[in-house]
Amino acid sequence: MRLTKKSDQSAATSSTSGLGLSRRRFLQNSGIAAGGVATAGMMAPGMMQPAEAATAPTGAAIEIKRTICSHCSVGCGVYAEVQNGIWTGQEPAFDHPFNLGAHCAKGAALREHGHGDRRLKYPMKLVDGQWKKISWEQAIDEVGDKMLQVREESGPDSVYWLGSAKFSNEQAYLFRKYASLWGTNNVDHQARICHSTTVAGVANTWGYGAMTNSFNDIHFSKSIILIGANPAEAHPVSMQHILRAKERNKAHIICVDPRFTRTAAHANEYIRIRPGSDVAFVWGMLWHIFENGWEDKQFIQQRVYGMNEVREEVSKWTPDEVENVTGVTGEQMRRAAKELAENRPGTVIWCMGGTQHTTGNNNTRAYCILMLALGNMGKSGGGTNIFRGHDNVQGATDLGVLSHTLPGYYGLSDGAWAHWAKVWNVDLEWIQNRFDQNVYRKLKPINDQGIPVSRWIDGVLENKENIDQKDNLRVMVCWGHAVNSQTRGVEMKKAIEKLDTLVIVDPYPTHAAVMSDRKDGVYLLPACTQFETYGSVTASNRSLQWRDQVIEPLFESKPDHEIMNLFAKKLGFAEQLFKNIEIKNDQPVIEDITREFNKGMWTIGYTGQSPERMKLHQKNWHTFNYDTLIGEGGPISGEYYGMPWPCWGTAEQGHPGTPILYDTSKSVADGGLTFRARFGVEREGVNLLAENSFSKNSDIKDGYPEFSGKLLKKLGWWDDLTADEKAQAEGKNWKTDLSGGIQRVAIKHGCSPFGNAKARAVVWTFPDKVPLHREPLYTARRDLVSKYPTWDDAESIYRLPTLYKSIQDKDVSKEYPIVLTSGRLVEYEGGGEETRSNPWLAELQQEMFVEVNPVDANNIGFKDGDDVWVEGAEGGKVRVKALVTRRVDTGVVFMPFHFGGRFQGKDLTDKYPQGAAPYVTGEAANTATTYGYDPVTQMQETKVTLCRINKATA
Amino acid sequence: MIPLKWLSFKLPFHTLLLPLLALTLAFSLSFSGLTQAADSAEEKTSQARPAERKVASFAGPEYWKAIQQGETGRTQSQAREANQLINVQGEEWRIWRNQWVTPAGAYAMGGTLAVLLIFYILVGQNKLDSPRTGNTVERWKRFDRALHWTVATLFIILAISGLTLLYGKFFLRAALGDSLWGNYAIACKLAHNYLGPLFVLGLLVMIIKWMKNNFFNSTDVKWFMQGGGMVGKAHPSAGYMNGGEKAWFWVLTTVGLVVCISGLVMDFPNFDQYRETMQQANLIHGAASLLLIAASFGHIYIGTAGTEGALEGMTNGHVDEAWAKQHHDLWYNEVKNKK
Amino acid sequence: MARMKFLCDSKRCIECNGCVTACKNENEVEWGIQRRRVVTINDGEPGETSISVACMHCSDAPCMAVCPTDVFYQTEDGIVLHNKDGCIGCGYCLYACPFGAPQFPSDAAFGERGKMDKCTFCAGGPEEDNSPEEKAKYGSNRIAEGKLPMCAEMCSTKALLAGDAAEVSDIFRERVIYRGHNDGAWAQAPTMQKTGADLAYDATQSKA
Repeated sequence: MRLTKKSDQSAATSSTSGLGLSRRRFLQNSGIAAGGVATAGMMAPGMMQPAEAATAPTGAAIEIKRTICSHCSVGCGVYAEVQNGIWTGQEPAFDHPFNLGAHCAKGAALREHGHGDRRLKYPMKLVDGQWKKISWEQAIDEVGDKMLQVREESGPDSVYWLGSAKFSNEQAYLFRKYASLWGTNNVDHQARICHSTTVAGVANTWGYGAMTNSFNDIHFSKSIILIGANPAEAHPVSMQHILRAKERNKAHIICVDPRFTRTAAHANEYIRIRPGSDVAFVWGMLWHIFENGWEDKQFIQQRVYGMNEVREEVSKWTPDEVENVTGVTGEQMRRAAKELAENRPGTVIWCMGGTQHTTGNNNTRAYCILMLALGNMGKSGGGTNIFRGHDNVQGATDLGVLSHTLPGYYGLSDGAWAHWAKVWNVDLEWIQNRFDQNVYRKLKPINDQGIPVSRWIDGVLENKENIDQKDNLRVMVCWGHAVNSQTRGVEMKKAIEKLDTLVIVDPYPTHAAVMSDRKDGVYLLPACTQFETYGSVTASNRSLQWRDQVIEPLFESKPDHEIMNLFAKKLGFAEQLFKNIEIKNDQPVIEDITREFNKGMWTIGYTGQSPERMKLHQKNWHTFNYDTLIGEGGPISGEYYGMPWPCWGTAEQGHPGTPILYDTSKSVADGGLTFRARFGVEREGVNLLAENSFSKNSDIKDGYPEFSGKLLKKLGWWDDLTADEKAQAEGKNWKTDLSGGIQRVAIKHGCSPFGNAKARAVVWTFPDKVPLHREPLYTARRDLVSKYPTWDDAESIYRLPTLYKSIQDKDVSKEYPIVLTSGRLVEYEGGGEETRSNPWLAELQQEMFVEVNPVDANNIGFKDGDDVWVEGAEGGKVRVKALVTRRVDTGVVFMPFHFGGRFQGKDLTDKYPQGAAPYVTGEAANTATTYGYDPVTQMQETKVTLCRINKATA
Repeated sequence: MIPLKWLSFKLPFHTLLLPLLALTLAFSLSFSGLTQAADSAEEKTSQARPAERKVASFAGPEYWKAIQQGETGRTQSQAREANQLINVQGEEWRIWRNQWVTPAGAYAMGGTLAVLLIFYILVGQNKLDSPRTGNTVERWKRFDRALHWTVATLFIILAISGLTLLYGKFFLRAALGDSLWGNYAIACKLAHNYLGPLFVLGLLVMIIKWMKNNFFNSTDVKWFMQGGGMVGKAHPSAGYMNGGEKAWFWVLTTVGLVVCISGLVMDFPNFDQYRETMQQANLIHGAASLLLIAASFGHIYIGTAGTEGALEGMTNGHVDEAWAKQHHDLWYNEVKNKK
Repeated sequence: MARMKFLCDSKRCIECNGCVTACKNENEVEWGIQRRRVVTINDGEPGETSISVACMHCSDAPCMAVCPTDVFYQTEDGIVLHNKDGCIGCGYCLYACPFGAPQFPSDAAFGERGKMDKCTFCAGGPEEDNSPEEKAKYGSNRIAEGKLPMCAEMCSTKALLAGDAAEVSDIFRERVIYRGHNDGAWAQAPTMQKTGADLAYDATQSKA
């Protein structure tokens, strides 16, 4: 039992090593150590003698650590109390501006991370179907040798680096850099299957693909429409802000969801739509808005491009057609539209219910267009408040743990590589040579989007002639990823079995370790949690928060960046990887990594948040305003909490961060912004720049393109640069000028470095220029397929053939008549391995279930609590408990996706390494989910497929 | 609020409880005690509810009304009946137990003891009419005696431990001090829980073994009409068992089985029985046991101090012929004739 | 003298179960014992209402009245506590409790009940405040540290309130008023708005 830090093994050496420590056990032990009694196990808690109380930890000094909950992107602050290196207490952080001390079930159970009873405790290897303990050295050696061998035989693209949204910013950045220096773009993380369609859809509408306002800013909303979002269960603390708006502002809350959720229970109006009909729903709303002239005409004229094309499409969505497609009556649509129109500013909140569709990018753009039409953008109380998922999925996305871009959304062009090579101080040519030099479909792998996480199984199973790389994937590294959060579980099992080697780097063994029938070739490497290291994390509202290290890594686990260092050394590129980064005791110094990305992340303003500034914010939670997040007095007066990106320029320039994107009522220097000029200055002769709209104090009183050295010269502002800045800014633009001078001068003149343009309602680079409703691949409404068909099959998207029409054309709705959708539970997160291993949470959800409407249950013939088989349209089936409830409509069933450790009726508990099985196992919902990917981002379809249900016999 | 919502009681509870309670009440219960109990119950319930009233004002009257009526919902707690916010029967159970069963039991036991004491003082022991003959006849075989004393011992332990749990806190806690009282109470509970099932077995054997001797006949009717000898001068005739003994047997059989069954319901909560079931079982168990205890005082009195020579039959198994002739003449003749 | 009470604002409660795990966390309650639970009425239908419930620390507590061994006692603050040493696990408190608060571990043979466990308002038990014995038997004693129960302090939407009955009803009364008005504050005096100090009225302000 580790009672003290590694280096200080004084107390309680009598008991076995390798166990986490609860506070209660800690109390016992401290009493026992003082009493000199060796037989710890003999003593019942109630038998402790009063004499020992004197030495109990009530006396031990309490260190208070400030950390951030690692369970969702709200970013709740936590005070962790640590005594003798043990996490003994958790206190609510009443002064934290996001949560005011509040927590949901997961946040309130955070301290269990300090116990880690069910953690993976040391590196392990599967030998003849048995888990064998190995040393770190052996693990790195064997895995590294295998990777080098595969690299030799099949090229670097045959190793897949699947990273994580649980990384800190520093680890995420390092991971992308690491994969790049290994020589592949086959690197990705959960954002792909989370909000990738948001990032793509939203960024292509107005510049940045992120939540535009903040949780706190919702206080100012007068109306709130939630589409495909269930914050009461997925982001409970955000409900504090939403309900505040409801109570204080009389905000009208409309909840649009196929399922009557806990959120719906608190809404003023609940609208039940047919799963997968989001675009039709939004166009139906807009139909009423346009019909009644409720749109913000001035806003559209000044700041929106292409609304007329939308108008044309919307005109087809008459109330009757909308009711036919979505199931919502014209009267309810009109009422909801009127509420939004009459209660401005209003905000839209969406989550996975909108994004995880084959049509995800259309959905997200439609939501944006709704807000643009109402003129809600760039306003306090308005905006698109997109709630991200994991605690650092925003940061990991920004820092480019993605197969289609380098950190900061620079993309994969030669220019992007040149930019980062310069930041990294690594020879560009050397990096290029690390990659496969062949050309596939006109692109070299270095410039070609890698295989996305949603499709890695196809990267393994697809005929290699059809993949735009040298060979199939052969080594899979799941570095903080729950495979049961991905669709097509049955094929995934095949893929895992076909791999040469599966490497799982995670605090827990995960479903991936047990779901296949492999007997060897699986390595488990224990990573520690974010509480056992430190670094920064980006909340959904783009604020960067600093986490203290709470405890030392438990057992033999190591922080992710240390493991990256060990691998890089073995694989031979550690020197290049850590050129600007000091290594101490095998661990890259976190602050050095932060400073490095500060030097390169100009596009989205991750440049001003130096470690020093972030730490200062962390120490001064109490000085920030609960509504506006602005620092009021104190050392950081006038800055916004966490310096929400873009925090322009260098740290020395002291930009306060941008609390609300595109808010022209503030000057850029104070956090104001315009829409980004990202799509050129004109199209087909029409001006794309803003008209008569500009941010406060702007020297240019109209739209303008993005800033570059050239533009500065044209404007006569070049001489505002210092000599040093001039040297670096020559021939560069705001994104590539490493001095930050161009940004500084633009802001000095009140201008947004990225220009001032219109948002575009028409994305001419996407498959559907104007978002269109398209029926899901597996739809129960066959009558709508001919009118709203999906896309044609594509030969290659993200290196892989992608099917649409050929799947939709097969009518399986007779065999599989019920719509299957999936979602979240408040007690669990993601694949759930971590939370199901936490007894405080696991106790609350012990059984995987499917929600079925009473009508369907009665028709099929089962009751609440019966075991049923849910069989997906591709044949994957799961045996689960029936929860008969009116939460779901007839013909629709819902399953939560957090369960794992069972597969098609088989319990896999004994396949976990001993002592590392989670407390609760259950069928993974995604065993029954099916094919379907968004054409822009390869987002998976988890929200609409078809299934059938039968009562399980015996 | 609800003084006593008896009218809303569910039927089984009502039907099971009332006859038993009536029985107990018939033993004693003065009217003044009754009304007093009801008054204080009313007072207490209205006082007891500020917390609940707050909940009501939070959630709105309809909501409160629903949960107050015991409406159930969904919960993630795995505990039995966790899905019910308000345990509607709890307050009623408490009133029944604290304001009715507890005082009624005390009156019943106290009343019985008082009656017996007065009887003893006024009438004294029922002496043998003729002197002992010195000849004995066997009345109880070894097994019968073992059975009797096993059941009797268990009965006494259960009675003492049960009474401790019902009344102990009113005086024993102060007398013993917290620590001793706590340990004694735990011992009582363990004894009660673990010996209870043994008592059930013993009682069952006893019932099966002795039932054939205990069916009433015309002799018993006469015996009762003469009040067991208290009315008129002649001692009424009786067989092996006289009417009084048979009556005690049947009280023990019926009420005893009720006590056993209700006891087992509470003893094994692992069958997931509902709280309401256990509440009802508790009241039935309490009322029936108190009745039985009170009745047992009579049995003990008659078997010991009340009747000369009666105890011998159960101690050494043999009774004097004089005693047999006096109390069980028909049986005595039967035995003699056989010889 | 303060009169400690819990209140759950059902218009706020979203059944996130934060209170349940906060209690587990703070008091290290064993698996199977839930001192607090959230119940949702009309689940999945319009009118759905959730409410968090635990021991309500009744003024005239039924559990106290029926306990055969008299282990319950009420603190000066009106908190109903019990002495586990004297508990015999009879279950009477569970029969009597209107809120289903008493919990029993049942690990012994025949499902025999262990010693009763229930919400202590984070006020521990009869042992010395914050002694290891008290912690082991009852969990933490936040009241002794000048803090309030963890469940209420961590409530995600500030639905669950704990503290002196007068203060708690003041907060709630304010909420009710604001809910009826267009520009109501959120149960906060304007001066306190920033940190919500009066919502979390004990807060760690002095400490942090």
